[in-house]
Amino acid sequence: MYFWQDPQFGSRMITLMASLVLVLQIMMVTQRWLITNIRAFALQSFLLACIANTIAYYNHAPHIYAAAVFMLVVKAILLPIVFERLVTKIEIRQEIEPLINAPLSVIVTGLLTLLAYVVAESFHRPDEPMGPASLGHNTLAVAIALFLIGFFMMVNRRKALTQVLALLSAENGIFLAAISLTYGMPMIVELGIFFDVLVAGMVLAILVYRIRETFDSMDVSRLSRLRG
Amino acid sequence: MTIYILLSIPLLACGLTAVVPSRRWMEAIHLASAACSLAAAIFLAWEVLRQGVVSSGNGFLYADPLSALVALLTAFVFLVCAPYAVGYLRRDQADGNLGPLGDAPAALSKLRMYYTLTPLFAFCMYLVVVANNLGVMWIAIEGTTLASIFLVTFYGKPTSLEAAWKYAMIGGVGLSMALFGTVLTYYSAHLVLGGDSVSALNWSVLVLQASHFDKGVMRLAFILILLGFGTKAGLAPMHTWKPDAYCEAPVPVATLMATAVLNCAVYGLARFYVLTVRCLGPAFASNLLILFGLLSVAIAVPFILVQRSSRRLLAYSSIDNGGIMVLGLGFGGVFGILGMLLHMTYHTVTKPLLFLSVGNVQQHTGNDALKKGNSGLLHVLPVSAPIFLLGALAVTGTPPFSMFQSEFMVLRAGFAAQHLALSILFVACLVAIFCGFFHHVTQLVLGPPSGAPREVICPWKTYPIVVLSLLVIAIGLWFPAPLYQLVDGAARILAVPQ
Repeated sequence: MYFWQDPQFGSRMITLMASLVLVLQIMMVTQRWLITNIRAFALQSFLLACIANTIAYYNHAPHIYAAAVFMLVVKAILLPIVFERLVTKIEIRQEIEPLINAPLSVIVTGLLTLLAYVVAESFHRPDEPMGPASLGHNTLAVAIALFLIGFFMMVNRRKALTQVLALLSAENGIFLAAISLTYGMPMIVELGIFFDVLVAGMVLAILVYRIRETFDSMDVSRLSRLRG
Repeated sequence: MTIYILLSIPLLACGLTAVVPSRRWMEAIHLASAACSLAAAIFLAWEVLRQGVVSSGNGFLYADPLSALVALLTAFVFLVCAPYAVGYLRRDQADGNLGPLGDAPAALSKLRMYYTLTPLFAFCMYLVVVANNLGVMWIAIEGTTLASIFLVTFYGKPTSLEAAWKYAMIGGVGLSMALFGTVLTYYSAHLVLGGDSVSALNWSVLVLQASHFDKGVMRLAFILILLGFGTKAGLAPMHTWKPDAYCEAPVPVATLMATAVLNCAVYGLARFYVLTVRCLGPAFASNLLILFGLLSVAIAVPFILVQRSSRRLLAYSSIDNGGIMVLGLGFGGVFGILGMLLHMTYHTVTKPLLFLSVGNVQQHTGNDALKKGNSGLLHVLPVSAPIFLLGALAVTGTPPFSMFQSEFMVLRAGFAAQHLALSILFVACLVAIFCGFFHHVTQLVLGPPSGAPREVICPWKTYPIVVLSLLVIAIGLWFPAPLYQLVDGAARILAVPQ
């Protein structure tokens, strides 16, 4: 038996990649450049596709390969290309300008990760043959952390495009939770969700473009005329 | 088969309007598709009444009385809005709101956007109610948001972009929570059902096994679902996108959002409510629903009292009514659930009356302000203004009208469930909302005349509201028996098993 056929090895690989995904998410919170942010998101999505592939291989679940392919095509290739073209087209200033400064953001991120581990702990069932126990429940904790940190990034950002990226990275967390908890949703649902994500990405990109054209800025704190 | 027809009509209309050359063709296709889809929805309801459950595609599409009721209400609003939209958009074009006057291609492309996206929007709403798979239902609800974003930015003003951005972002966060909730529901069912087949997320399969689901996971799932679909329904405190979006979208779209989309979101919530109640017992879900429902009713009060724009007033009324539906579901019991379903039905018939007549006021006077210069509309708009007054009386639950019955039922359910203090708070909020509405509406309609020119009656924009107002009066006095059977069937689905 080769070493890569050992399920133990697969489990370690998944944990390693999941932790890299979390590291990328924290990097997105702290770094300052928009292009880096988009690339970190693309890399994160690529790693998630790899995790999906690994799970599919070790659990003999062929339909997860399809999820991995969708992930790769939609979130790691198509959407980053759309966003990068948008950035070059509208010639925005590259800096992100978060509301809370980097050190404080990292502390908040750490607390959110801790919270995610606490929540994931309540799902842990060592006696269960299926589900998170077989994957190491680290993966689920990482998924919940991605979800929470994604929302934190949304409120911490002022530029429209970075809010979109934050929302999409929170959705990456849901993808990770789905594949690690249940080996993915049924095929048709997976397909529909990726189609929705793709359309949402396009729609939001157009909206960002029009906000930039109309307000001459992508700063959403200027969107404050409607009250009451 | 009927379900396929119901779904294919709006899709076909969307495809056709994308290619036809002239405005008249688009209008004709739009009207025909609205009429046909109402016919299909009525036929579906009839089939459901006869057979109990209609399903096709190996149980992928599934209609029980609850789905048939919501589909019927959606088709009804779609049909009411269709002829109105024709007149409304023609007037907009004449006023130069669709691009500079004389620039026909620009106006035509705007019109094409409206006439293709609105059927797509309707298609997503039909899919929400006939999808058996909860994942597909989520996809369809997300689809309603995506289809309507560019309808909110229809006029391309800075404020409409702001409204669309809030709508997209708040809706996006909410729906991603709902997706997480759906994943967790699948997980808690997965432990029981196993397998990766499509049917493992089918509601009709899940509901039979719900008592064996993992309780801890289901609890978290329901909280996420409530936050998610609650955002889509505009429950407080996730309601902030609602007044902006309703204010900026064209009136027929705002009408669809305030009635049909609200129904779809409450429908999705109700489906998960049934699973949660069967898994955890009624207390957990009910308490959460009562909390959010009552908060929505209460939060609408101050905003209605000090409101300065009539369309925002209607948006807060929609938040209030969504709250009443959720409150009815939360109070539970026969009266609570029946009250919720009747309230949904009555609200769907009544609310378009208000939106459409306010649309007439706004297009005539050029603004939707409640105070500045707008008063004595009775002298200016002799048809739309009295109908607006009638609609305001009906929607606040004044006795001869139908919504009094459903609000009373919800209240009675509250007392029956021993929530004395909460029920009294509920009544107090309803009274305050009634006062606020009447302060604004009487001033607007009956105040001293402002000297604006009289309206020229446009048949497209007037006949729909005249017919609808007769219907609003009629439904308060006489509720058709087949419709009641449908509501009763739906109530049995939502009822807590003994």
